[in-house]
Amino acid sequence: MDSQIRHIHEQLVGKHITCTELVKGKLEALKPNTHNTVNALLDELALDLAAKVDTKIANGEEIGLLEGIPFGIKDVYMVQGTYTTASSDLLKNYKSAYTATAIQKLLDAGAIPLVKENCDSFGHGSSSENTIFGAVKNAINPELVGGGSSGGSAVNVAKDYTVFSIGGDTGGSIRQPAGYNGVYGLKPTYGRVSRFGLMAYASSTDCVGPIAKSIEDVRIVLNVISGMDGKDQTTYASEGILEESISNVDEIKTVGYFKNFIESEAIDAQVKSDFLATLDKIKAKGITVKALDFFESNTLVSTYYTLAMAETASNLSRLDGTNYGNRIEADNLKETYAVTRSENFSEETKRRIVGGNQVLSQGFSDEIYLKGLNLRDQISENFEHDFKEVDIIISPVTPSTPPKIGDSLKDPLAMYLSDAYTVGFSLGQLPTLTIPQGTETGMQITAAKTNDDLVLTFANFLKDTL
Amino acid sequence: MSKIMTVDVLSSIKGAQPSETVNKLFEVIKNADTSNTNTPNTNHNNAVSLDNLREDIVVDSSEAEKQIIIENFPKEKNGYLVVSKVIEE
Repeated sequence: MDSQIRHIHEQLVGKHITCTELVKGKLEALKPNTHNTVNALLDELALDLAAKVDTKIANGEEIGLLEGIPFGIKDVYMVQGTYTTASSDLLKNYKSAYTATAIQKLLDAGAIPLVKENCDSFGHGSSSENTIFGAVKNAINPELVGGGSSGGSAVNVAKDYTVFSIGGDTGGSIRQPAGYNGVYGLKPTYGRVSRFGLMAYASSTDCVGPIAKSIEDVRIVLNVISGMDGKDQTTYASEGILEESISNVDEIKTVGYFKNFIESEAIDAQVKSDFLATLDKIKAKGITVKALDFFESNTLVSTYYTLAMAETASNLSRLDGTNYGNRIEADNLKETYAVTRSENFSEETKRRIVGGNQVLSQGFSDEIYLKGLNLRDQISENFEHDFKEVDIIISPVTPSTPPKIGDSLKDPLAMYLSDAYTVGFSLGQLPTLTIPQGTETGMQITAAKTNDDLVLTFANFLKDTL
Repeated sequence: MSKIMTVDVLSSIKGAQPSETVNKLFEVIKNADTSNTNTPNTNHNNAVSLDNLREDIVVDSSEAEKQIIIENFPKEKNGYLVVSKVIEE
């Protein structure tokens, strides 16, 4: 099975390359920051860890599979002693006091963090343009956006600057940039991976997940970062997914797709025809393909953004420059809060905070927020019903190809609507993987809650079929 | 005393106004049909069971963590955080 991690592991163990050479090479590639993917290089830490791996190998000690493997971290994860900016002015000098659980597990396994990666500020965006570090450039065509919000992470993987990266997905922020840059990106089932140490955007859909160049690498990383964590009590215990368990597609008999996604006027003609051709290839392999009814894109996007804005307004209320952050002093406490937040948040972040406070305020909460929650319950129920009839749901990742840099900032509504195919699975808290096949921006594979293994199984099948 | 809290006050963002773009999203929700639903509250099942609650004990932070927290203070005096005067209204 293709795996960059296994390949590099063999090279290290076979002494074809030293870990220091490997890490130096990656750092050199990242340093020019050609695609605006780098918020901070962790060169000192990385080289120090690489030297330790080399010593172990030189002493004839065994090393673990992830030991010495260089990876990237979206700049919303805490890594003790490193800057964690969320690509924002407010936190541009903020240092993490502790390390996120998922990252700590990777460090414990010996993986080497190279870089804190550019993204939309606080995860607010679908293009990685809403950042103080410059718009992330697409790995395939640098005139286009890198996607978002985990744009820097997806581009780094696509360009081989990192072997894998850890992104964050609230409404599509791993899956969409993975699709835009032609790599794999997994949003695991909500709760499979601890969110402790991830800067909260919308806590009820925030997920931690890997971006990588192969299904096997996604599996290896997922197994390491998963598990129950007392510091995030929404986590659940999960079994590791075995390599051999995801190679047999026999248990997948029926695949569904949402016909309104494909019949939508918004979908690009090429994306549509490529997706339909993919359905034909799946049918030709003897798998039943079933058209499913689903909510209109407008309803999905509006429900997601209403709830996400409400949650982010609450989560970001702590950012007032009192204990940390770029405080701007004013006449009194309230003015200090207001000036600090006004000057340091981006326009997009302010739009979302204001929208969130609007829907949570008296008079609006019943007709918008509570109704949004009700719609979310209906969406979840719809999924439960669907997964009684199908094993897997497939869909395009985006209705169209990546926009040019600059276009999304001019039209935020168009940017919100471009998330139409990803947000529903976030609201349902379902495991969903983007694969770099099927359409120009890839395809999503979704299974019922906790069936992350089935998603990887079907991805393996499609890798050989398409 | 009745006081209307505008979004700029609620958000602590000077001059903030509701956005037309965001209002368009809210209109979709307002007009959505939720009358015929009897769905269970499926999204609120993430709570931890009583048996799995962590122990209610204070865990002291490491010295390194404390040092970084102090380093992050926007204004510091003799190791203490300096904040603006709290005003009463």
